[in-house]
Amino acid sequence: MGEANAIGINAAWVIPALSASAFFLIIVLNRVLGYVFPGSRVPSFVAPVISIGAMLAGFVLFWVVLVDLLQNGPGTFSIAWLTVGETEIQWGVLIDKLSVVMIGLVTFIALLVQIYSIGYMKGDPRFGWYFAAHALFAGAMLALVLADNLLFLYVAWELVGLGSYLLIGFWWEKRSAAQAAKKAFITTRIGDVGLLIGIILLFRATGSFDISTIFHVAASGGIGSVTLNTATALIFLGAMGKSAQFPFHVWLPDAMEGPTPVSALIHAATMVTAGVFLVARMLPLFELAPDVMMAVAITGLVTFVFAGTLALVMTDIKRVLAYSTISHLGLMMLSLGAGALAATLFHLVAHGVSKALLFLGAGSVMHGSDGETDARKMGGLRAKMPITAVTFIIGAAGLAGLPPLAGFFSKDEVLLGVWADLNPAFLVVALFGVFLSALYMARVVLLVFFGPLNPEREGAHESPPVMWVPLAILAVLALGVGFLAFNYTTDYQGFAGFMSSGHHFEVTGWLMGLSIAITLGAFAGAWLAYSRNTISHAALAARFPVIYKVLVNKYYIDEAYQWVIDHVVLVIARAVALFDRVVINDTGVDGLAISVRLSAMRTRVIQTGYLYTYGAAMVFGVVGLALIWWIFLT
Amino acid sequence: MIELTHFQVLGAALFAIGLYGVLARRSAVLILMSIELMLSAVNINLIGYAAFVDFTEAQRSLGQVLIIFVITIAAAELALAIAIILRLYRNRSTVNADEINLMKF
Amino acid sequence: MASLVFFYFAAALVLGGAITVVMTRNIIYAAFGLLTSLMGIAALFLLTFAEFLALVQVLIYGGAVVIVIIFALMLTRLDDFRQLSDHKGWPLGAAAALALFGLMIAAIVRTPVNTGPREGVSFTVMGESLFQDWAVPFEIASLVLLIALIGAVVMVRRSDPDDGANDDGGPN
Repeated sequence: MGEANAIGINAAWVIPALSASAFFLIIVLNRVLGYVFPGSRVPSFVAPVISIGAMLAGFVLFWVVLVDLLQNGPGTFSIAWLTVGETEIQWGVLIDKLSVVMIGLVTFIALLVQIYSIGYMKGDPRFGWYFAAHALFAGAMLALVLADNLLFLYVAWELVGLGSYLLIGFWWEKRSAAQAAKKAFITTRIGDVGLLIGIILLFRATGSFDISTIFHVAASGGIGSVTLNTATALIFLGAMGKSAQFPFHVWLPDAMEGPTPVSALIHAATMVTAGVFLVARMLPLFELAPDVMMAVAITGLVTFVFAGTLALVMTDIKRVLAYSTISHLGLMMLSLGAGALAATLFHLVAHGVSKALLFLGAGSVMHGSDGETDARKMGGLRAKMPITAVTFIIGAAGLAGLPPLAGFFSKDEVLLGVWADLNPAFLVVALFGVFLSALYMARVVLLVFFGPLNPEREGAHESPPVMWVPLAILAVLALGVGFLAFNYTTDYQGFAGFMSSGHHFEVTGWLMGLSIAITLGAFAGAWLAYSRNTISHAALAARFPVIYKVLVNKYYIDEAYQWVIDHVVLVIARAVALFDRVVINDTGVDGLAISVRLSAMRTRVIQTGYLYTYGAAMVFGVVGLALIWWIFLT
Repeated sequence: MIELTHFQVLGAALFAIGLYGVLARRSAVLILMSIELMLSAVNINLIGYAAFVDFTEAQRSLGQVLIIFVITIAAAELALAIAIILRLYRNRSTVNADEINLMKF
Repeated sequence: MASLVFFYFAAALVLGGAITVVMTRNIIYAAFGLLTSLMGIAALFLLTFAEFLALVQVLIYGGAVVIVIIFALMLTRLDDFRQLSDHKGWPLGAAAALALFGLMIAAIVRTPVNTGPREGVSFTVMGESLFQDWAVPFEIASLVLLIALIGAVVMVRRSDPDDGANDDGGPN
């Protein structure tokens, strides 16, 4: 660890701390101002100012930390919190390339989303709480990516889940929103349990929560292979929950019940990437357990294709984007399973930017269309909301993988990693997934922005500047991030070289050509199907009714889960509740009390109140005493 | 020939009968009568000892003296018991043993 | 020999009267049973040459105690003094009485006493013993009688409203 700057790595912990403090500050201040300005005259700018201020400061500090990192190399900073026996539990931050990239992404996107939200959430009665929850979430996410020990990471992980729950269920008066929040929390909870068990297993094997210590012990063979496989599999389980991998993906489409900026932040760029980040962070451990890596890759691939098929038939714009997110998270997991950390991270950034842009754009479309989300009720909106249309198209193109946008290069790097490390079959299936992703993106764009203007959308209008300015910034970024992939100087050899020196950017001609061809083919197919109606998708749906029905019903997975819950989980829960009520409460606790009372009632009868009873008892006592004296004492 | 045992057994029998009367009779006055029987049983025992036990005359006279005392105390106790019964009758209009159970749980 | 017959006759009086007291339904019969029993005891006193005690027994028990008891009977059960049933707990009393009787018989059998021939105590000796050796208990016994009588009177006194001279301001 080198010399730290005046503020640099040592102050990296300030970044999450600022957001967390913003959360408390907003709540307290709103309460205080509620007394100063009675009624509903609390100035509404207080909350966003505080949380955006915290985020902005965090973003600025990110640059400081980056500079320090480039100059002095990675470092850690920790304070001891409490000591239990021989174990010392610490709060600490670990700054390396991975965490710095994540901090940059999270602070930037959170900043833009919060600015956007000022316009989107205008007039909402819980305006202040919205920003407080945002601050809480951002603080937790930043702490998560900075954590240097697994315990701290887990705490932040749970807080991120809490923030997500609060934000998805923000409009909790709507029954579906409350249920969606509950579903998200419960589904990710299943993964969280796995994560906790995995952490505990690693702690037992190595005696420490600290990540670098665990890596050291594992690298020197100090962890048995059974423990290692189990622990990594469980950690991946946690990642599956948060990153919506199959079969834990069911919460993400429903999470669209939350406000659209929330979807942009949480379900595009930050929370769902926490799972990817976790696997990436623990990758040295995963590399020691190749079977688990293979499982990761397979899960990722299945998710990539599975969600892609679903995105094709959804009619709600946000749901298409949700499934697209799931799909690309699968792609990231696939790439991690192939051991391509740099490619994964690059795609994470590119996808994050593009998907945030798409979600915010969708929000803008909804804002201008009176809250309508059904793509079938839209068409030709590019005339009515040009800025939104342009930025949306840029984001879509980026995600679909059109060069020279970011998505093309990142996807290419991922495919390269897959080809280099895994069975060629993986690449084939992945290319099919690439085809699907271009297809559904084009479909959405064509349905919403092109074609004749839908008569219901006569009153559509562009969004206010506070909303399209972030869109524009993100669009520029989406255009420009792609160029991070190239080699520039001897110090910076492409993103791959940034992550680990020795690598650099190469042009893989045949792979690039293949993916461009697939993408263009998908665009053509979409144009034919949705714009020209040459291949009518309605006719296709009629020719394969079973497939269509299965897809539209999301493979009936939600129904399957509900069945399991009703017939297994609730049955067991009822049995346990019955046991608790009958055995423990009625028999054990109440029973003891009742038995005491009954025995007392039976015994009380001796005190009849009649003197003759007492007299007889005295006589018997005398006789008894005499007998005892005679028999035992003489 | 009369022996001491006769007096002792007679006293024991009278005592037991009196005890039964105390425990089984209903009216308080009858209980009082039974108590008198029990005290008389004690007297029978005492006179038996006074007559038969191998003491000097002066020592044996203690038996008779004790009988005097027992009769005296029996009389005193009788007076007080009657007073209590009368008071009880005034308060509760009954002197039945099975209707007076204020000391119960 | 004759004394044995006399003893059994007196014993029959005593026990018969006692059984009448504890078993009869008619309380007047019970009162007279008590009287009979006490007179039987007087006979026993005569058997043991304690003439003075026989006199005292007849006078005090027969003359005072039974009379008072009959008064008490009259004062407390005016309406149904012919109907008198035992209460439901009598088996308990019987068991207790039998148990105690058994205990006493066992005690009598097991305890040896030095006995001599039956002889009484002369009146003079008894008088000397009572008023010289046991004078203090004698006086105390008389005190007890006095206090008992005063206490009985106080307890039974009706709480009539006093005239103003004796009023101490509190209830009763």
